[in-house]
Amino acid sequence: MNASQSTTSSTKTPSTVRIKVKRQDRPDTDPYWQPFDVPFVANANIISCLQQIASKPVTADGRRVAPVAWDCNCLEEVCGACTMVINGVARQSCSTLLHELVSDGTGTTDEPIVLEPMSKFPVLRDLFVDRSRMFNNLKAIKGWVPIDGTTSLGSGPKEDQASQDMRYALSRCMTCGCCLEACPQFTFDNDFVGAQVIGQALYFNMHETGAELKDDRLEAMEAPGGIADCGNAQNCVKVCPKELPLTEAIASVGRQTTVHAIKSFFTGK
Amino acid sequence: MCIRVYVPSHAGPAIVSQPEPKSPDIGFMDRHHFLLRRLHSLSGIVPVGVFVIMHLFTNAQMMWGQDETGESTFQHEVDFIHATPALLFVEIALWGAIAFHAGLGVLYMTGIVPNVMKYRNLDNWRYTLQRVTAWVALVFIFVHIATLRWRWSMFGWFTPFYARVDAETGWTHGGEAMALPLTAYALQYSWLVVVFYAVGVLSVVFHWANGLWTAAITWGVTISKGAQRRWGFMCAGLGVALTAFFLAAMVGALKYDLDSDMTERQQKALDKVVPTWRGDAPDSSNE
Ligand code: SF4
Ligand code: SF4
Ligand code: FES
Repeated sequence: MNASQSTTSSTKTPSTVRIKVKRQDRPDTDPYWQPFDVPFVANANIISCLQQIASKPVTADGRRVAPVAWDCNCLEEVCGACTMVINGVARQSCSTLLHELVSDGTGTTDEPIVLEPMSKFPVLRDLFVDRSRMFNNLKAIKGWVPIDGTTSLGSGPKEDQASQDMRYALSRCMTCGCCLEACPQFTFDNDFVGAQVIGQALYFNMHETGAELKDDRLEAMEAPGGIADCGNAQNCVKVCPKELPLTEAIASVGRQTTVHAIKSFFTGK
Repeated sequence: MCIRVYVPSHAGPAIVSQPEPKSPDIGFMDRHHFLLRRLHSLSGIVPVGVFVIMHLFTNAQMMWGQDETGESTFQHEVDFIHATPALLFVEIALWGAIAFHAGLGVLYMTGIVPNVMKYRNLDNWRYTLQRVTAWVALVFIFVHIATLRWRWSMFGWFTPFYARVDAETGWTHGGEAMALPLTAYALQYSWLVVVFYAVGVLSVVFHWANGLWTAAITWGVTISKGAQRRWGFMCAGLGVALTAFFLAAMVGALKYDLDSDMTERQQKALDKVVPTWRGDAPDSSNE
């Protein structure tokens, strides 16, 4: 692909790129760093760099090592599995292109590309993390529409366009964890749930049938670690690769919990 | 009912489960988590925030100086406040609200991971500054109340505040108008005091204006981006107004000349409550 090389014609295109990977052999061992050099291919993504490393797992100083492990699935930024911290920022390694990183501002750069696993989730191995916390939180807020039963429920209720637009935007969440990695209130071991599940609570509360479980969701949202622990740093909305309207979702669920709490103060048990 | 939002996984592919989350205090704090968080937010607005507006507005009157009898608009407002029935209870409620807001705030700050160096954007700076100014404001408000109101002497800095002092007896419940001279004396004690007050008050103003902005999101008042932006302008306007009040107060206190602006009776009254003022004030005390 020589044509692609000419896109950065005014600057020197490096023939290899140094990639520094934060590695960890087991969940309970200490992390360490290893540098790798991979051939520069314009338009390559980070996953293909990792594939290069996997096919020839030799460090920049010539040592043969175990290949770097990572997680991925869709390769088109819809599953969220490949999320890692790339040059300090959480994003998907399938949709992060190499030339965006090396021609950043200065043209070519001698700075290595730094890959780390997300810091807010337990590392299984190398860049592969366990994202169960997000899925467990989805269970806690009952992130589903209750339609199980033995009889036909008939056709669903009609939905207006505005609500559909909002819900479509919220439905794009791929549980990647970027919003949580960037959130100063969400830490490795506290119980804050973060923007991801707040967005999904709104998504299901806005669904006409899903709203049957609204009170349960709001109670989960009012529990320790719920929405009240958001500090409004609004990093989540800026890093979300699927551009969910997270701050609007947080404010909406904030309003729902306010109303719910006042109602249950006066009418609850 | 208390539903724990996070349930550690024992199923699924997880090889290592997330550590058990640390809650600040299992029990009362957890059971009333949401209520306490909302009361924390509310207490910053009413009464603390509203009081700050009144306080800074009152202080701004110092800019107008005093007349030849020592009376001033500032004095008039201070007298008005001091005439509030059951003032001590109002004060105690206010101190209690500040302590509640500060105590919970400190607790809520434990464990957070500010990351403004990684995720550099204005909102993240606001978030971080809100927490930095919280600490500054906490120290500032404590020193401010302790020195002026409780009349502690801190590091030899003795600057008691009395609205009126009798020039003959030193009785502090009537007599000469002393609100302006005593405030001027406190601020002119050293340039360090001026810096301390500038940093302290501006921190309080930022914390209040920004807190009002985020509270509207927290309570679900401003939902859309447009609403958040419009409310942001209003909060910024409040911040600018309060900063202007503070500057007016500062100018008023600094331009007041203790040697030539006080009436003779005010000087005598000052002798009663701060006998050292001639030697200490102003500037000669920097060492
Ligand atoms: S607004 Fe800030 S504190 Fe709240 S979830 Fe988003 S990043 Fe976290
Ligand atoms: S809200 Fe956005 S950043 Fe957060 S998990 Fe979903 S897709 Fe990822
Ligand atoms: S592999 Fe699915 S988002 Fe990257």
